[in-house]
Amino acid sequence: MAAGRQRVIDLYKTLLYMGRDYPQGYDFFRSRLKKAFQRNRDISDPEQIKMLVKRGEFVVKEIEALYMLKKYRTLKQRYSTEKDQS
Amino acid sequence: MASLGKVLCGTFFTNTSLRVLGRYPMCTARRYLSQSKIVNNLNLQTCRVPVTVMRHYSIKPPMTIEQIKKRVLLVLQLYDKVNPDKLTLESHFINDLGLDSLDHVEVIMAIEDEFGFEIPDEDAEKLHKPKDIVQYVCDREDIYD
Repeated sequence: MAAGRQRVIDLYKTLLYMGRDYPQGYDFFRSRLKKAFQRNRDISDPEQIKMLVKRGEFVVKEIEALYMLKKYRTLKQRYSTEKDQS
Repeated sequence: MASLGKVLCGTFFTNTSLRVLGRYPMCTARRYLSQSKIVNNLNLQTCRVPVTVMRHYSIKPPMTIEQIKKRVLLVLQLYDKVNPDKLTLESHFINDLGLDSLDHVEVIMAIEDEFGFEIPDEDAEKLHKPKDIVQYVCDREDIYD
């Protein structure tokens, strides 16, 4: 149980760090994240917690991918002329 | 005097001391002459011209416990879920201020940003009161009073 708690807190911290550059703003991300975590606050089944942490880690990957994509698009826009974009 | 210096160079001094002699005025050479037995030692010492290079790679202005207390409390006051009226150094985050464990993580992150170092999760768990945080930061910055 204690280990599960540690993992959840770690996940929350990681996600908060990820959220700093979120396109819609940090506060938007933070309130959503908090709600998402609070929705599952009563879950005590270790298996289910493990599953949810896995899902959280997947979300971390997704956000990472989102940032990469954003970076890629920005770069592409800068290095290409108006015509190429269409 | 100049010839005397030359003689000295020829007889007593090594290459390094020669360089030193060239740089120093003759009066010092005369002094060395009077102590000719320890002359080699002396010259080795004068070779080591103290070079004081000041480097400030990660220097911070010195902090005191009072300053840290103020900064910690300021960070906590700025955190939106903390009621500034209830906040004291002794108030417990979860019991007195009504934060949950997720808020606690956010508080710890705010402290990390304020003081510019990372607090590991194991340590963060033990920081229940502003006083604990002040103590932790003091330990970390080597401030003891």
